[in-house]
Amino acid sequence: MYKRSIKLLTKTTLIYLVFILIAFFATAAFIIERTNTFIDEDTEDFFLRRERRVLHYFQEGEIDVDKIRGLKRIESINDTMSNSYPKYRDTIIHISQMDVPMLFREKTILINFSNEAFEYSMYKNIDEEDKFLQGIMRTITNTFIVLALVLTIFSLLLSGVLFRPYNRMLSLMARYKVGKSFNPELVKTSTSEFQRMQQLFGTMIDRIEDDYRKLKEYTENMAHEMQTPLAIIHSKAELLIADEGVMKNYSTIVKAIYDEATHLSNLGNTLNLLTKIENGEYSNVEKLKTFDIITNHIEAVLEMFSLKGLQLEVNLDPNHSINLDPLLFDVMLKNLLKNALRYATTDGPVKVFTTGESIVISNFGNPLPFEPSKIFNRFVGSNGTKASLGLGLALVKKICDLNQLSVHYNFNERQHIFSISECQA
Amino acid sequence: MKLLVVEDNLELSSDLVSFLRENGFVVETAFTLMDAQLKIYDYTYDIIILDLGLPDGSGLDLLRDIKKQKLQTGVLIVTARNAVEDKVTGLELGADDYITKPFHKAELNARVRSILRRKNFEGSNTIQHGNISVDTLSLEVSVDEKCIDLTRKEYDLLLYFLYNKNRVLTKESIVEHLWGDHADQSDSFDFIYNHIKNLRKKLQVAHSNCQIQSVYGMGYKFSKK
Repeated sequence: MYKRSIKLLTKTTLIYLVFILIAFFATAAFIIERTNTFIDEDTEDFFLRRERRVLHYFQEGEIDVDKIRGLKRIESINDTMSNSYPKYRDTIIHISQMDVPMLFREKTILINFSNEAFEYSMYKNIDEEDKFLQGIMRTITNTFIVLALVLTIFSLLLSGVLFRPYNRMLSLMARYKVGKSFNPELVKTSTSEFQRMQQLFGTMIDRIEDDYRKLKEYTENMAHEMQTPLAIIHSKAELLIADEGVMKNYSTIVKAIYDEATHLSNLGNTLNLLTKIENGEYSNVEKLKTFDIITNHIEAVLEMFSLKGLQLEVNLDPNHSINLDPLLFDVMLKNLLKNALRYATTDGPVKVFTTGESIVISNFGNPLPFEPSKIFNRFVGSNGTKASLGLGLALVKKICDLNQLSVHYNFNERQHIFSISECQA
Repeated sequence: MKLLVVEDNLELSSDLVSFLRENGFVVETAFTLMDAQLKIYDYTYDIIILDLGLPDGSGLDLLRDIKKQKLQTGVLIVTARNAVEDKVTGLELGADDYITKPFHKAELNARVRSILRRKNFEGSNTIQHGNISVDTLSLEVSVDEKCIDLTRKEYDLLLYFLYNKNRVLTKESIVEHLWGDHADQSDSFDFIYNHIKNLRKKLQVAHSNCQIQSVYGMGYKFSKK
């Protein structure tokens, strides 16, 4: 994706302007070339007439260098010099009668007559022609500027009027959320491209909704239907566990079956919960006073921490609150504490504290064996062990993302610190 | 005690029936909602173990029927859906407790016993095994009629053992029973050993003729010496 974007109509106008600029310059070049050719031919015609007249004077023997303006005798000439004629140059001559400088073209020819060499310079006023050329250039440039201005203003006005239905459709599309009932108003437009877009948008929503429904059904059915076979596996494993004869020889195998069935069941339930959260099914958002909830939760797990030799340092702000569905807050808290309990070392206390804005849970521990940015990814820290599902922190992140909460992780002074706060509007 | 197991899966139903019969219950089965509805009209049950996902409807409809008929039957909901809404609806409709699939049968037994106790169907508040006696009303535990002092967790643990005596209880099952929804907080269940150790010690000091045996790699078994 390009970093800088540009509006379609602006882009079209710019491209159009570039094409017009090229067209104008091509036209200008053609006109100037034709005009120059005409001037050159006209000037050359003038010089030829003058040349013939001077030659006529020579043929009649009236060679008076002083009488003919621009004629002078050359004392000596070689082949190289004679090959350099005729010479042309444009020069500005100050016209004293009018007191104005004017542009003249000068042509100098070599006349060889009776073993004598003469140089004859003729002048033709081309000031008018030059002004005519400048006039053409000015006209073309001004026309281009006016056209560019008109086009720009027109495109600005058009982007407001012509693209109004398009912008409306975009704002409607932006409001669309999967799984939420959505009946966008029909935007009236006579532009066939926009009509087509609107039609495609409707078809696309129907398809997405259909896929979403199927996926939801699939996930829920899977999570639901797999529990009965798992319950049977569990039940059968328990029968084997109760049989001393079997356990004498196959206890490891039976225990593995039992444990894996439990793991699979937990995995299914947690993935189902994650899907439900993603689908926004827990939207009973209320302003929760966290003090009592966290206190109750900590009381329930305090023993687990102490049995692992971990100290809990709790400092809760009685006024701290969070806008969240109570169930989601419970899931979030449970998973953060579970994470602390699982990975904390006894180098220092597990801290749980709330301030005016945030909830912070930290524990001492070893550095992560993976990139810290991946900590909230699914199945990153579990290492495939059945002790951990590898979904706990992914759940926390998902809950935060969908509820305008931000969750940050950092590792500082051998402490893993998770902080949750409400996003600033 | 007469129980009705409403479960559409034959295999699971059969396992539950065997297990409950082993525990001294009279058990009948229903595989569909209609089957269950007919049975509750015709017979009286102390407890109905009710799966919510039935082929011809929701188990919640049966709960509504039970409520409508003002039956005194205890209801234990069994749901595959680990969803709050099902549990809440079930409990609101008058269910006494719920258990989520897959469950430990020892836990099912404990829940059934607990409902029976709460509804006073068993006629007594005392559970007796060997020389241990537990009064579930006053929460008192005595060995040879001498009270012993137990913590809340030790009391719950002992009660769980008494409900499931002579049966191997896995560590997972014990942790789930004692910590409920918080059971999965820890990655290891070995920490329950402390509670087992303390309970064992207290029973030994009181000269109980019951013991908690360790079953290597699996869990614990409570039985008479």
